[in-house]
Amino acid sequence: MPFKRTPQKFNAAINAMTLGTGDNAVTIGGASVLPLYSFDGDIGNAPKIGVEISDLGLEGECVGMTEFYAGASTPAEMAAKAEKMPGADFVCLRLEGADPNGHNRSVEECVEIAKAVAGAISLPLVIEGCKNNEKDAELFEKIAAALEGKNVLFLSAKEENHKSVGAAVGLAYAQKVGAESSVDINLAKQLNVLLTQLGVKAENIAMNLGSAAAGYGFEYVASTMDRVKAAALGQNDAMLQMPVITPVASEAWSVKEAMVDEADFPEWGPQEDRGVRMEIATAAACLACGSDAVILKHPRSVATISAMVAALK
Amino acid sequence: MSALTDLIYGGANAVAGLTEGAVNDAIAKYGEQKEVAFPDTAYFLPTIYAATGVKVTKLGDLPACVGVLKSLISGKEDLGEALNAGLATAVGAEIIEALKYVESADPYAGDSGIGFVPDPIIRSLGVPLVTGDIPGVAVMLGKADDAALVSEIIKGYQTRGILTFLVGDIIEQAIENGVKMGLDFRVVPLGHDVTSVTHVVTVAIRAALIFGAVTPGDLPTLLAYTKERVPAFVNAFGALDAVTVSAGAGAIALGFPVIVDSDLGDIQVPGALESVTDLTKTVAHSLELRNIKIKIREIPIPVAFASAFEGEIIRRGDMHVQFNSTRKPTCELVVMKDAADIEDHKITIIGSDVDTVTAPADMSLGVLIEVCGEKMQVDFEPVIERKLHYWYNYMEGVMHTGQRNLINVRISKEAFEKGLRLKDFGEVIWCEIMDEFASVVDKCQVTLITDEAKVVELRDSVAMPRYDERDARLAGLTDESVDTFYTCILCQSFAPSHCCVVTPERLGLCGAVSWLDAKATKELTPTGPCQPIPKEGCTDERLGKYTAVDEAVSQATQGAVSSVTLYSILEDPMTSCGCFECICGIIPEANGVVIVNREYKGMTPTGMTFGELASMTGGGVQTPGFMGHGRHFISSKKFISAEGGIERIVWMPKELKDSVGDKLNKTAKELFGADNFIDMIGDETVATDSETLLAFLTEKNHPALGMDPIM
Repeated sequence: MPFKRTPQKFNAAINAMTLGTGDNAVTIGGASVLPLYSFDGDIGNAPKIGVEISDLGLEGECVGMTEFYAGASTPAEMAAKAEKMPGADFVCLRLEGADPNGHNRSVEECVEIAKAVAGAISLPLVIEGCKNNEKDAELFEKIAAALEGKNVLFLSAKEENHKSVGAAVGLAYAQKVGAESSVDINLAKQLNVLLTQLGVKAENIAMNLGSAAAGYGFEYVASTMDRVKAAALGQNDAMLQMPVITPVASEAWSVKEAMVDEADFPEWGPQEDRGVRMEIATAAACLACGSDAVILKHPRSVATISAMVAALK
Repeated sequence: MSALTDLIYGGANAVAGLTEGAVNDAIAKYGEQKEVAFPDTAYFLPTIYAATGVKVTKLGDLPACVGVLKSLISGKEDLGEALNAGLATAVGAEIIEALKYVESADPYAGDSGIGFVPDPIIRSLGVPLVTGDIPGVAVMLGKADDAALVSEIIKGYQTRGILTFLVGDIIEQAIENGVKMGLDFRVVPLGHDVTSVTHVVTVAIRAALIFGAVTPGDLPTLLAYTKERVPAFVNAFGALDAVTVSAGAGAIALGFPVIVDSDLGDIQVPGALESVTDLTKTVAHSLELRNIKIKIREIPIPVAFASAFEGEIIRRGDMHVQFNSTRKPTCELVVMKDAADIEDHKITIIGSDVDTVTAPADMSLGVLIEVCGEKMQVDFEPVIERKLHYWYNYMEGVMHTGQRNLINVRISKEAFEKGLRLKDFGEVIWCEIMDEFASVVDKCQVTLITDEAKVVELRDSVAMPRYDERDARLAGLTDESVDTFYTCILCQSFAPSHCCVVTPERLGLCGAVSWLDAKATKELTPTGPCQPIPKEGCTDERLGKYTAVDEAVSQATQGAVSSVTLYSILEDPMTSCGCFECICGIIPEANGVVIVNREYKGMTPTGMTFGELASMTGGGVQTPGFMGHGRHFISSKKFISAEGGIERIVWMPKELKDSVGDKLNKTAKELFGADNFIDMIGDETVATDSETLLAFLTEKNHPALGMDPIM
């Protein structure tokens, strides 16, 4: 019996969201078929890659990173190099240093760093917080005000701080809101409902559905993303049609395989190679499951994933 | 009513005349091309822009606005029309204030008020307003007879985090009485002319444009936004002239109630224009009128309060006092009351406090918690009451067990030494109810009684009848008696394609979510896991098949499950997550079903253990012949009623038989007249294989054997 190909068509699409302004703006989302099913129909905008830099600089980074960023001593200088990284579509500034349980960098200081970074690049900017709900809420409000008009995406509003982040980022300063939930379709949907009830427009929301490094419970991520895409496209669920953006670097580089020293596990090979592989494997899996953008940090990972996207789109 | 509308129209006409004159004078002086603008705003003259979409930029634009303003003053004997005239006053005030900025770049330089509030301040205020950190906005205008009292009102708002705007001589009255002012103190003086009230009106209006994304010119949406989303109200003091009343009408049109300190008698409009002549009541009444709830930050008690203390055991030797039902009368009761009967945050102690006894002591305790709220329902009383156990236990040095009239509460010596008294119990209960149940409870008062006779009275004449009523209500709740079922998808993180359908007679399979719980969950977390299903489209009564249920389940499982029945184990049985208390499985050779509870570790006559049965039943799949359910469902008349109901039950573990026996016997008696039906059901002491079980059932003449083949 000859193989008969039946394209899976949907009368729904993932929202397209534009980040940044002008010629260098990038748009994510827009697919009306399952992730990367270009043989079925319109995959919208090809997945995009963000390059992550931290306000803490290159502390503890591997050689590939320090070599790439050689000569850059401030986040702004790093950002300028990051946007030149082959394959980069946008830059993501992660304000790890703001964590009250860590460096506890002040909001004012973070605003200055964010302004300097925004001034140093022409690609769109994504701001990632320090994962402390209260501090992030304060931080995002002030940075959203300082970067008004730049169309910046903030990661993320969570259930605990969605009101402050949504009101400041999404309403007062008309930036883009990332909605972060922890690998659960219902929580993801609930947060989107809450944000839209607050007045944030659905088209200004991107979802961070949560992630895990490949091998660390990724099957939950895969099943959640599958179900989100199935509901968004198959059931035309407007509260799940937001594009998905997944910060991969922080997950992939914090697991044992990426961290332990070669001296302790000589049979595992060089640490840097392992980290890159974790990052690539995780990012590829996320894209296959439905991420419309991933955030990476190592130049080799960015190059590899960018080649993969180019080949598949 | 005519006295009120006359005042409003009089004031509106006066302002209209003033406005027209001022506009004409300004044009004569500066020409039509002269720019007119408030400082630092992108919204032109915000009231005019928001209401009409017109962008006023020069004096020449204003005469048309005056025309619109006049058209709003119909003079008709109708309150709605009169409120429109109030809006005209707001527009007029805005124009008059804008002209001040034509005369001078900083017309408020010599005033103690700040005048126009620029956009960046509104953006920064918007966030705390949205999050409730600023729970409300008070506009206070006029001059009070008693400066000290009115200053207390301002401080009252201040301590509650409310943002207060002052207009008129009240500013000086507040300053004299030491009220700290400025944005940081959340008290903002605007100006002395009554027209400067426009500067707070434009704050509300720009909030709607910025945070509500209201399209300029869309007046109905604008008014709906200010009414529903901007929690503002007005307090007016001193003699009321027509202009003030008409400005007040404008506030009412925006949805902001006005409270005045003079007695307006029958021209009051409940909910919109009310008199509060006793200034010590102004704060509470204003907050109540606007339904403003204050976020509680920290519970003011002398011991720590956290879930970490939940498991703390207080031994007899360490305790200062106990309230133990077996020794002294006790009870706990939450009741719903009318709003008028409750004074919020009132904590009353009747009888002596715990510092009158020496350790180890026994005391009586009756706790009466009265709540009210627009969305409160009698059905939520027990839901709140059950939380008391946790809140007591969260207090360091306090232990609580039991509920209703059977409790034991202990206070440790250490907690007593730190100063813990009965009043603190009241504080904890009040704070937690107002926090956790904020969406249903508007006001709450707590009475703690230790006087033994009065506790007995509360227990026997109030509490016990109430408990009985609730039990009767629960017993009388049937699937037929309600018009709504609920979904529960709390477990979908583990079983993505599972959805419980919770009905009065079929509680969630985990046993923890009854229909009442689901209903309360929906009110408390409207976007949460329990969503209502209208009981509509019954296509098969025997199976319990409803099109509305199928739609809800299909939606909730993203299409994974398209149809479930409520009462059948064979045809589209309900899915299971994995948290079921019990599993029911058919045993064809006995023409019935066995039920096994999670705690039972042994073999069942189906040839499978609980674990083995669970692996086929859980995970959100539909396995005809097997389903998970809660213990309470077993004695329900709806239990697999499509296949013949409880008559089909042929085997249960002993412990389960003991726990559901009485209720099951009762249902059996009612349904098919059997006495001691439980004795006909096998258990592990009788059989763990089907042949021995069959012999037992034959000997007992179990009704299942005579029924139609189960499959």
